[in-house]
Amino acid sequence: MKKRILAAAVATVATLVALTGCTGSSDAPSSAGVPTDKPITLKVWSWDGTVKEAVPGFEKLYPNITVDVINAGSSTDEYTALDNAIQAGSGVPDIAMFEYFSLPLFAIPGKLTDLSQFGAEDIASDYVDAAWGNVTIDGKPYALPSDYGPAALFYNQAVLAEAGVTAPPATWDEFYEAAKKVRALGGDHYITNDSADIFLLLSLIWEGGGRPFTVDGSNVTIDFTDAGTTRAVEYWQKMLDEDLVNTKVSGWSDDWNRGLNEGTIATQIIGSWFTSTLPERAPDAAGDFRIAPLPQWEAGEASGSENGGSAMAIPADAKNKEAAYAFLEYFTHGDGLQPRIDAGAFVPKLSNLDDEEFLATTNEFFGDQKYNEVLAESSKNVATGWQYPPFFGWARTSYEDVSAPLYNSGKGTLADVLETWKQRSIEYGNEQGFTVE
Amino acid sequence: MSSTTTNALRVRTRPKVGLLFIAPFAVLFLFVLIIPIGYSAYISLFQNKLIGGNAFVGLDNYIKLFNDPQFYDGAIRVVVFTAIQVPIMLLSAIALALAIDSLRLHGTKFFRVIVFLPYAIPAIVSTLMWGFMLGIRYGLIGSLNEAAGTSFDPFAPETTMISIGVMVTWGFTGYNMLIFYAALRAVPRELYEAAAIDGANEFHIVRYIKLPALRGSLVVTVIFSIIGTFQLFNEPNILATLVSNSGITSYYTPNLYAYNLAFTGSQQGYAAALAIVMALFTIAIAYVVQIKGMKNVLNK
Amino acid sequence: MSSTSSTLARPKKLYTLSNPRKSTTLTLLTGLFALYCLLPMVWLVINATKSQQDFVSSFGLAFGDGFALWDNVVQVFTFQEGIFARWLLNTVLYVVVGALVSTFLAALGGYALAKHDFIGKRVFLLVVLGSISVPGIALAIPQFLLFAQLGITNTPWAILIPSFINPFGLYLMWVFTAQAVPDGLIEAARIDGAGEFRIFRQIAFPLLAPATVTVLLFSFVSIWNNYFLPLIMLKDPAWYPLTIGINQWNKLGSTAGNGELIQNLVITASLLTIIPLVIAFLSLQRYWQSGLALGAIKD
Repeated sequence: MKKRILAAAVATVATLVALTGCTGSSDAPSSAGVPTDKPITLKVWSWDGTVKEAVPGFEKLYPNITVDVINAGSSTDEYTALDNAIQAGSGVPDIAMFEYFSLPLFAIPGKLTDLSQFGAEDIASDYVDAAWGNVTIDGKPYALPSDYGPAALFYNQAVLAEAGVTAPPATWDEFYEAAKKVRALGGDHYITNDSADIFLLLSLIWEGGGRPFTVDGSNVTIDFTDAGTTRAVEYWQKMLDEDLVNTKVSGWSDDWNRGLNEGTIATQIIGSWFTSTLPERAPDAAGDFRIAPLPQWEAGEASGSENGGSAMAIPADAKNKEAAYAFLEYFTHGDGLQPRIDAGAFVPKLSNLDDEEFLATTNEFFGDQKYNEVLAESSKNVATGWQYPPFFGWARTSYEDVSAPLYNSGKGTLADVLETWKQRSIEYGNEQGFTVE
Repeated sequence: MSSTTTNALRVRTRPKVGLLFIAPFAVLFLFVLIIPIGYSAYISLFQNKLIGGNAFVGLDNYIKLFNDPQFYDGAIRVVVFTAIQVPIMLLSAIALALAIDSLRLHGTKFFRVIVFLPYAIPAIVSTLMWGFMLGIRYGLIGSLNEAAGTSFDPFAPETTMISIGVMVTWGFTGYNMLIFYAALRAVPRELYEAAAIDGANEFHIVRYIKLPALRGSLVVTVIFSIIGTFQLFNEPNILATLVSNSGITSYYTPNLYAYNLAFTGSQQGYAAALAIVMALFTIAIAYVVQIKGMKNVLNK
Repeated sequence: MSSTSSTLARPKKLYTLSNPRKSTTLTLLTGLFALYCLLPMVWLVINATKSQQDFVSSFGLAFGDGFALWDNVVQVFTFQEGIFARWLLNTVLYVVVGALVSTFLAALGGYALAKHDFIGKRVFLLVVLGSISVPGIALAIPQFLLFAQLGITNTPWAILIPSFINPFGLYLMWVFTAQAVPDGLIEAARIDGAGEFRIFRQIAFPLLAPATVTVLLFSFVSIWNNYFLPLIMLKDPAWYPLTIGINQWNKLGSTAGNGELIQNLVITASLLTIIPLVIAFLSLQRYWQSGLALGAIKD
């Protein structure tokens, strides 16, 4: 009896394995354009849920192509999986999603397909300059931008008003004054929180013209002493010193959700994509939140920076590159874009940012503010010329480690932390075969 | 049974049959454990660079490891954790086993099941539950703080390890309790009766009959507990994203460090060296604890 | 130790060694520990009844404004095209096949170790027991690379094959066989001309039933709770077991980007995941104890 169960179970496994075994297509792609004469299955790794919205339209266009969108994990999980697949030589997807900062890690060692062979440069001018800069590494396009995260100020209008701040701070000096007023509300009230969030600090540096990383091929320079960087670091140090930022609560934690919900965290300096997730994190604050441009370093300026965003690339080992590019172009640039935008995607394509319907989007949660007007403007204002070091994924984790003493128990200064971080990065980068100084 | 008859019988068996019976296990064991361990040892001699590929570096990874303060930080943390948590857990388990075995509880069966139940809960679920419950904003600690006007934070850098201890103790005390309880149940009841006739009270019975009967189980539980705590991974890994400012670094425990080295820093050779050193360390400690128990087992 | 008035009212002669006087103090002390054991599960049950909004805004050990348990259950089974049901089936597949095969191999191997002599037996035992202390991480990376060479990562085999090996089960089976299967019985069967495998199947195996159930149960729990191996081996959510699926859902809300915050589903899914285990525990609990007795007793 037991044996029969066992046999049945083994048979089940065998069937399941057989079923999965027949999905891949191993034929070499034909050289001229997208093959239409044979069935192709495209594997797309994406944790951006809007990508699947573009699939039905594409499959109608190419009846021989089936698109399989898989969530192979978010961020580092996916990169690890991809690296493993590349190493193992099997299971490499045809398209994979990358945060902008992670592209160089795969592009520089030759793990991604140079998209200029498909004429990707021709559509460069359709995008926000800074976004195209993100996907261009050593002068070649390795991905198409699929999602954008211009930094903006999300503020709880009710809490700011209670503190006596009637208009959103337009400069960092105003932000500082506002922070003091919010803190004066007492208790746990802070204008914002920061617990070792490197992207927050970098977005301030980026906006003010600091360019701490320079990358040229495998040569990387790290320097936290240029004027823009120093100004931002000193400013944030002042915020920390005067206890104007809640350093006990880190982003994406449950404490954070609660702080946003009850109003003890009054603002977030964060990417535009935050529109989609703030409402579910702070349901009790519905109607109170608004979005403003990032405060400026000098009154009257209109500079900006990124916090997040992602692109889609074709791994060098992908099997159906022509078909993959066809879909890639379709859902990041072509007709597949609209269904994704309808599902909430925020794409740095200029025609989209100027689209009236897009700009007219409102949400009760944000008090029916036409927030895309702010975000579209912020996208166009993003300062260009920013580079991430290729090992930024590692560096980000390392930053959490080295900044822990500062944020946990107030030991040292931000400048010390950056110096230690730089030394660690130099050590690691050189070990990994880059030339870092 | 006496050893002479056993040996006499065994002489007549054909050695090939034994090999045949053990073969399926042995072959798979070779495939999923021995070969990977060997391969791990092999890659620990290499450095996989993002630029320039794989390079043989000899014992460099090991030398680097022994000079790596982050490795010591994590290793010391788990050793201290083990030295504190394991005794607390095992003493609780023994106390519970004695209490349940004494038959003096109202609802013996109920307690036996309830205490063992947490063992069935996957680490991901238990960490989520405890992580949410101990969060300072709400849950138990939040309301205790509110009532007492204190500001105790179970996930501050100084206290996170204690909270992890609470989770691990929660998950495994019942398992150890059951091992002790099973050993107590195996003591012949007549022994107690004889002792009682000789005038022994309950304390004497515990001291001179029950506790000595637990010695064998203690060896097993100590070894398994040490192995378990040295491999601490799931709780800090899941907590790191769940709670704020917990002080959990990427090298918080050696296992977490190895995982992060391999999967966020692509330093697989270094990670392999770390894993091998931890494995040898664990085996050495387990062996010291086990040495007496093993002898008895093998001489049987 | 004190006793309650109700127990005092009973005739004293009823208290024997096998039925001693109950102690309230001892019960209360043990009760404290039981409370510690139960509390998180109470929390889980309470919070599985909350909607996402209630979860964020209400006190942890109190019910929310609405009772959303059924809603949550329905959502768990419909979210992402109902992938939760798939995860449940995957887990059942891994558990059933893995536990049966590993128990059978452990029984066969344990029997060989206890009743047969062969070359390298002691070394084999030492290696097998030593392998228990090798960290999972040390194995995971090379196992992954090895399996990738064979093309079985991202298939059920990557989870099943490692789960077939249960060193602790082998140890339990070996100790139990040594005690429960008399040598004389085997010898008698041999004299009757029975083949070795038939002796194992018809004489030894039935005697091993209690230990078999124990090893089955342990395999069941360890495979059901398996986390690290599938985390590394599987990338296609279609093959995820429940533990990885829940973790992925949980991470959805804590990863920067377009993630969805679905803590209510994470919690309800957690509850649904542990229910089968809790049932297995409650219904089969006597086997745990009987089997553990074997491994624990010295000599």
